[in-house]
Amino acid sequence: MLLIECPWCGERAETEFSYGGEAGIARPPDPDVLSDAEWADYLFNRSNPRGAHRELWNHAQGCRRWFGVERDTVTYRIAGSFRLSDGSDNREG
Amino acid sequence: MSRPLDRRHGLEPLLAELSGSRTADPGASVTIRNDLGHINVRGRAADAGFVQSVEQVLGQALPVKPNTVSLDQHEVFWLGPDEWLIVTPAAAAAELAGRLQKATSDTHASVNDISGGQVVLILQGAKCRDLLAKGCTLDLHPGAFAVGDCAQSGIARANVLLALVDEMPTFMIVIRRSFSDYLCRWLTHAGRDEGIAFKDS
Repeated sequence: MLLIECPWCGERAETEFSYGGEAGIARPPDPDVLSDAEWADYLFNRSNPRGAHRELWNHAQGCRRWFGVERDTVTYRIAGSFRLSDGSDNREG
Repeated sequence: MSRPLDRRHGLEPLLAELSGSRTADPGASVTIRNDLGHINVRGRAADAGFVQSVEQVLGQALPVKPNTVSLDQHEVFWLGPDEWLIVTPAAAAAELAGRLQKATSDTHASVNDISGGQVVLILQGAKCRDLLAKGCTLDLHPGAFAVGDCAQSGIARANVLLALVDEMPTFMIVIRRSFSDYLCRWLTHAGRDEGIAFKDS
């Protein structure tokens, strides 16, 4: 079982969390100007890296906040957690 | 204004089932506290006006440190960076919720009386840490989980809010009413080693 660090509650068992997929995918500001291919890319295509992966987790059984985790997809080693509201994962800057 | 509360807690069938079996020397006891009201408060901890208004009505501090509970006239639990639970005698809950609502009406906040949805179990006794360890992933060692600490987690997969209120040790478990029968049945099975007794408040 993974020990995941919630930015508010500290280290808790993996069973308290739910997974939310890749982090840092910004919704296009104006979806109407996108082609179907661009919209599909936003909806469905993910980077699926081998190695470091920034992903979303929700502390579902705890404080119910979303936050980010950097996890290695090969070793499952977790490098750290980050809050989303501090802008650390905002690709738009 | 407030009328006496004759609310059933839903655990009566379980208590009736268990009434025949008496544990001689229980290492843990469970008291069902159905006489408490629960108020959920949400607002921004960074908004000094909100915090001040709530604290003025409560007459005690709103815990902003994660996973702590303020034990005073009311029990005020931290649930999230913008969410708290106030547990107080049921007879006074509606009136307190009204006063909180009024005090926070001009801030971005919400106050909800959720007394009907939750019930409190008081778990006491020398062996209750052993018992909880069978179904809870939290580290409840006195060095890691002290009086005044609380945590939302799972016991036997049921969502609970758990707090240590004294060193006896006494744990307070806040659970959804609909899950309380399941949890109590789990406690009776898991507690066969420790010895467990149930009491109605």
